[in-house]
Amino acid sequence: MGFAELFLIAWQGILSNRLRSGLTVLGIVIGIASVITLMGIGEGAKLEAEKQVQALGVNLIYIRPGSIGTSGVSMGQGTAPTLTYEDVLAIKENCPAAEDVAAQYTSSLQIQAGEKNTLTTVVGTEPSFPDIRNFHTAQGRFFTAQEANDSARVCVIGDGVVEDVFSGASAIGKKLLIRGELFTVIGVMEHKGANATGDQDDQVFIPIQTGYSTLFGLNLVSGRAVKSILVQAKAGEDLQAQFQITNLLRLRHNIQSPDGDDFTIRTQMDILQTAQSITGVFALLLGATASISLLVGGIGIMNIMLVSVTERTREIGIRKAIGAKYRDILMQFVFEAIVLSLTGGIFGILLGLGSAYWVSSLGQWTTVVTPSSVVLSFLVSLAIGLFFGIYPARKAALLDPIVALRSE
Amino acid sequence: MASLIDLRSINRVYEMGGESLYALKNLTLSIDAGSYVAIMGTSGSGKSTLMNIVGCLDRPNSGSYSLDGVDILRCSDDQLAEVRNAKIGFVFQQFNLLASMTAIDNVMLPMVYAGVPKVERYGRAVQVLEQVGLGSRLNHRPNQLSGGQQQRVSIARALANKPSILLADEPTGALDSHTAEETMHLFNELVSHGITVIVVTHDQDTADHARRIVRMRDGEIVDDSDRSS
Repeated sequence: MGFAELFLIAWQGILSNRLRSGLTVLGIVIGIASVITLMGIGEGAKLEAEKQVQALGVNLIYIRPGSIGTSGVSMGQGTAPTLTYEDVLAIKENCPAAEDVAAQYTSSLQIQAGEKNTLTTVVGTEPSFPDIRNFHTAQGRFFTAQEANDSARVCVIGDGVVEDVFSGASAIGKKLLIRGELFTVIGVMEHKGANATGDQDDQVFIPIQTGYSTLFGLNLVSGRAVKSILVQAKAGEDLQAQFQITNLLRLRHNIQSPDGDDFTIRTQMDILQTAQSITGVFALLLGATASISLLVGGIGIMNIMLVSVTERTREIGIRKAIGAKYRDILMQFVFEAIVLSLTGGIFGILLGLGSAYWVSSLGQWTTVVTPSSVVLSFLVSLAIGLFFGIYPARKAALLDPIVALRSE
Repeated sequence: MASLIDLRSINRVYEMGGESLYALKNLTLSIDAGSYVAIMGTSGSGKSTLMNIVGCLDRPNSGSYSLDGVDILRCSDDQLAEVRNAKIGFVFQQFNLLASMTAIDNVMLPMVYAGVPKVERYGRAVQVLEQVGLGSRLNHRPNQLSGGQQQRVSIARALANKPSILLADEPTGALDSHTAEETMHLFNELVSHGITVIVVTHDQDTADHARRIVRMRDGEIVDDSDRSS
């Protein structure tokens, strides 16, 4: 018997019990659709994370101080005031692979304008910050090197801050009190959204020198402490820059053993890899969850095929009496299971594409349905039909014709 | 000339609770090509077991069976299926048509398993359905046909692969006397075309159409009378 013939026989078997076939198919439809949708969400999250890391800037290197350790208890990275503004100056002077450097000192402080006030993150930094972070002003301007050197009392605010304390009105030229110190707003940053470290629009930027003299003060041990250093490496020289900075800081901090580093250096590639491994696990979890429903759907097919074989014992007996061989009966039922699960697979793919599109249109999640996930779903539904169909089909094909004919 | 069907010293034993029940006891029977035989007996006489063995649906525990020169007991299950498909046509008491298929699809089914090309299948199915007088009922499903018509569809199906033997198990059991009579006439006609017809029945009127009557009791042949002469 050819495939067309087998397909026809299987199709007749399926149509002879439409409601039951339909319900069985539904299990596979839901399974495949949820695999497609959830894998789409996972893939979308991966892409979103990559986009966020790219948005940090180009060839970015991120240096943070080490951790404070008291009697074996580590307080976590960035807690020790081991990096100073003098380190920043040294990097600027001695690392030829570093294109641009910006120190950062962040502090959570209360700000006030008119009658409104809020708690926000105040970032003391340098004029090179917008270029390194790829984060620019939308109105007004960022502060200049001159203003930085003069410890000018100027600030640039995120657009979230404009909403919070200026009620969305133009803020340029207005006065802003930061923990009681008076600043003039000279610029508003573009909208950037939130990333893993927090809401990037809820920030106030001031020259770091101004910060030391007014808001942050000096650290008793290290003087002008910095909380992080952003370095933009020259194109294609990330590794050299990382190498030069590491050596320079070890030299300056008198560190002999590499294990004793009191700072950590992360490149954009490291951050990207971390993000990818996190979202990869996320996508895998979603896929695994969806696979369970697919497995349940497959068991549904096996169940219904077993019922079908039992119900059609007499038919199998008749077919055998008039000359059907083992293979004929086996193929009939395997085909029936495959046709069931493939029908479910095709409708499931369509439903999955539809619901992935729908999830995207809600705006909360980006979904990306890759062609490979569609092909994979199709093959999986084929495999489910084969795997869960073979046992009932074998049972049917091995029936004794006399016993089968006698059954009611 | 060797017989079409040649059964020798056939034993068919069922084990039940440690006891051996002989459904067929050392049975020997030969049937020539073109004959019309009725096998009679009460229920439990072994006539159904005999029919299953003659029809290659069952195997005896011992003995030998040659059908058209083929040693049946050496055949695999698939080879038996081929023999049934090519040489034997079954007519059952309950007709045993596939309810989801039309008359013509039912008749074409044995040809599907025989690998007959599609075009040829259809032509032959129409031909045999016309032969049994159902040329106008090709696309009716079994539940749209009367009992007599269903029986004729099942006879058409049995004839589809031009078998040398037609095996009928109580063919008139579910029919009224008039349609039963018609069916037996049809069998007579088939015999005149050279087909060997074997009818298993407990009904004397049905058996009376046959030229040879084999009577069974307790798994043995007790009477074998040829009435053709």
